[in-house]
Amino acid sequence: MLNANHPDDERLSALAGGDPDEGADAGLTAHVASCDRCAELVSDLGALRMSLGDLPDVAPPRPLRLVPPVPDASAPEDGIGTWMRRLFAPALTAGAALAMVGLVGTASPGTLPTSLDEVGFGGGDAGVMHEADEAAPGDQRLTDTDEPGAVQGEAAGERDGAAGYGAAAGDDEAPAAEPLSGGRDSDTSEDDYAVPESRVGTTSLPAERSPWPMVLFTGVAVIVGALLLRWILVPRAG
Amino acid sequence: MADAPERAPTNRTPPLPDEAAVIARAADGDRTAFAQLMEHYQSACYGLAWRLLGDADRAADATQDAFVHAYRAIASYRGGVFRSWLLRITANASYDILRRQQRRPSSPLPDPDEGAPELPDPSALNPFAEASKSELYRHLERALRMLPADQRTAVVLCDVYGMDYNEVAAMTDSALGTVKSRIHRGRLRLRELLAEHRELFTA
Repeated sequence: MLNANHPDDERLSALAGGDPDEGADAGLTAHVASCDRCAELVSDLGALRMSLGDLPDVAPPRPLRLVPPVPDASAPEDGIGTWMRRLFAPALTAGAALAMVGLVGTASPGTLPTSLDEVGFGGGDAGVMHEADEAAPGDQRLTDTDEPGAVQGEAAGERDGAAGYGAAAGDDEAPAAEPLSGGRDSDTSEDDYAVPESRVGTTSLPAERSPWPMVLFTGVAVIVGALLLRWILVPRAG
Repeated sequence: MADAPERAPTNRTPPLPDEAAVIARAADGDRTAFAQLMEHYQSACYGLAWRLLGDADRAADATQDAFVHAYRAIASYRGGVFRSWLLRITANASYDILRRQQRRPSSPLPDPDEGAPELPDPSALNPFAEASKSELYRHLERALRMLPADQRTAVVLCDVYGMDYNEVAAMTDSALGTVKSRIHRGRLRLRELLAEHRELFTA
């Protein structure tokens, strides 16, 4: 504390601490020698410093690890843990990708090939479709020779609404195809066959239902499996 | 210039009898020799960390950190007083923890009153302590804990562990004048806090 009659206390502390700058100040040392208050302060601070410097060491309350541990790379669980750590990110990415594709496929059936239902042949099997496909050219040959039909619109409607009937009904439906092919150009006739033909690849799959829910399920399973394995196999800190 | 005077504390852990040889083995990678050194000086390191941090758990963490740093650095140890070298490492490790603690306003420095039960009994914990001075030490430790953190750090490093002003300034990233001011104000505050027990440290 600065006092009009005494030097600043911090200077006196410096003097008590053996600071050579303050010790070399003759005015300061002369004042301390003649002032009881400042002499006592310097004496107290000097004694305080000695006591502080005498404080003993303190034993830790619990045992400390004296040497840092060396990682043991040969430990078998550590090896598995390392492999798991390496595989975790790729597995998670693959699972997420599968789940995403599966989700899109499931949620937007119109954008991806689906089942026979879409082609109006809910319960049919591949054999029937092939049969229908083979029957179609026969129909065409027939229509080429028969008279022009009058129910073109009806046939077109049938083509659009249940396009894939193909020759599902086989010979039963053949008469309906006659006026169609007779009244339209050859492109239309090709379209007629193109539709079921394009479905063959899809509908000839053994599975009748859309595969996308299964893809979604597999992706989620991969993610959950990776997380579980990591939790079980990778050693945790601490 | 402006160095604190050298003092030789009498109740601190003395050097190992064959310290130079043990250090040499530790520097060559002998883990047993390193463990021997750390075991010998762990009370010195922990005491410094505890006085800087005021908390037993954080002090133990800081001491542990210091051992790790020392293990990495001992190969480059180039002589001098080993205890001082190790204490500088401990002070840096403790100050790192203190800095992190002060950056988070939600974790204030420990309340001296709340921390009072943690004050160790030097005569019970350390064979080098003189039982007759136990009371003085207890009052000193308690008064140190009541100082503001910046003053406590400066006083502990300078007056308790004999580091010079420049070392303290470098360690705390502070200007030399700031460090001196903290030390002087800390000493004056300690004197006020210990006024009732003046006879203990002036005897």
